[in-house]
Amino acid sequence: MARMKFLCDAERCIECNGCVTACKNENEVPWGVNRRRVVTINDGVIGAEKSISVACMHCSDAPCMAVCPVDCFYKTADGVVLHDKDLCIGCGYCFYACPFGAPQFPQAGAFGLRGKMDKCTFCAGGPEDDKSNAEFKKYGRNRLAEGKLPACAEMCSTKALLGGDGDVIADIYRERVARRGSKGAEAWGWGSAYGQPPKGAQGGVAPAAPAGGKS
Amino acid sequence: MHTLSRLMGWLVLALAFSTPVTAQTQQQAPAVDPIKQQQQRGVDQPGNNAPVWRDVRSGAPNYTSTQGREAGVLIQPQARFPGQDAMTTAGEAWRKFRNGPITFYGGWLVVLVGAIMAAIYFAMGPIRLHDKPSGRTIERFTLAERWAHWVMAISFCVLAVSGLILLFGKHVLLPVIGYTLFAWLSALAKNLHNFVAPLFIASLLVFIVMYVKDNLPEKGDLSWLLNGWKMFKGEHLPSGRFNAGEKAWFWGGVVVLCLVISVSGVMLLFPNIAAFELRATFQQASVVHAIASVLVIAAGIGHIYMGTVGVEGAYGNMRDGVTDETWAKEHHQYWYDDVKSGKVAAKAGAAPQAQR
Repeated sequence: MARMKFLCDAERCIECNGCVTACKNENEVPWGVNRRRVVTINDGVIGAEKSISVACMHCSDAPCMAVCPVDCFYKTADGVVLHDKDLCIGCGYCFYACPFGAPQFPQAGAFGLRGKMDKCTFCAGGPEDDKSNAEFKKYGRNRLAEGKLPACAEMCSTKALLGGDGDVIADIYRERVARRGSKGAEAWGWGSAYGQPPKGAQGGVAPAAPAGGKS
Repeated sequence: MHTLSRLMGWLVLALAFSTPVTAQTQQQAPAVDPIKQQQQRGVDQPGNNAPVWRDVRSGAPNYTSTQGREAGVLIQPQARFPGQDAMTTAGEAWRKFRNGPITFYGGWLVVLVGAIMAAIYFAMGPIRLHDKPSGRTIERFTLAERWAHWVMAISFCVLAVSGLILLFGKHVLLPVIGYTLFAWLSALAKNLHNFVAPLFIASLLVFIVMYVKDNLPEKGDLSWLLNGWKMFKGEHLPSGRFNAGEKAWFWGGVVVLCLVISVSGVMLLFPNIAAFELRATFQQASVVHAIASVLVIAAGIGHIYMGTVGVEGAYGNMRDGVTDETWAKEHHQYWYDDVKSGKVAAKAGAAPQAQR
């Protein structure tokens, strides 16, 4: 079974925000909510500018899942972290726990009262029947059920954003790293999201985590 | 009351240490401009982005065209809560602290205090009057004092139960009543918690102002603290209107813990106020809120026991506002003497204002 992962290649991302737009359009994401965002480091500084597109990374040991007071999260067989909006009470704990700031809350009332949490589903819908109307309304399109990969990665103009089976995208990335001949390249966020690969494992990018913490 | 004062000590310690160490304090001030360093690295070692990722890991916000709270932060900065041996992203550290020590020790503390109260009740029974009631009554609490007490008490219970559901319900209730019902109950608990809290805070302030005068330390408090436990054997030490145990509960539980809970709670209550909107603020406030709440609930169970079934007549005093002279003499001798000698104004001989 595939383990679905995201990988953003900072050498390729051009901050076009195509992924953000693709996601909003494909999933008809509610107002005020962006499931994906592009962050630019050293914006405008020549030679130091890098951009990364980030959304829910579908962590192996997801902190959001762990802190949810109503246990509304679940993990699919593909390793995608999904949640049940019928159970969500809008407490916001998942947002405090998530390293990547993925959970988003539409405002549901005065004083910042939160509605039900909304986040990237890896285009895999929710607990309702696959491709049903109810699923689309709450979670957006279930592209995985249609045999497609997430819209953001598929629409990426420079193929900086890769989404799919972790082994496959790691192979693609490794080949890029080898061709570029770069030293110390790393897949950003993989250490925090997926942990260290088991020793002797094939086909994973070992994140070159510098001493002192995960990337 | 030893245990109470020790609990207070632990709370102060816990609060002092519950502020996590942040990554910034551990990093040396970089000698070179980090942006220059990133540019230089791109020239020296093309493709080596280590300085960039170091910058990202600091948790400093960067540019993004997407609007949202802390949207420019790619990943939360590193942090460590007490008892944790390694730095992790702040959210993960918060998760481990909340799901770990707070849930484990907090949950068992509440269970333990409940069990101790049950043990005292079944082993020793309630503390009864030694003499027959005299039939003459003294006013113990004015109507305003009772209103302040009961508004605070009832809102406290609503907040305590809803808070316990939100912290422990997943482990205790969810396996029993199932996902659908538990989610409905939790949504109710969350909204009750949010909307009852302001009432609690208002009544808390009124209560403190009304009751502080008679809770100031006075002669006899120290010996009461040392020997007050003997009341479970039927020996009462003389005390003023409130004994030292009640004063410890007033200062430790009501004033310190409930004010800490109120302040941290208000911070959690308004997620869209700019001053509170950082995730680190929420994590720290929620940890302080949970620790103080579990302690005050544990102490509150003790107070509720003593105020209802634990002491004969105590509940009636707060309900009707009057107490029997025998009760006053046995439980609060100095206060009784003061009332009798006319030193404090209390309506001696007042009739019960409500009938049982």
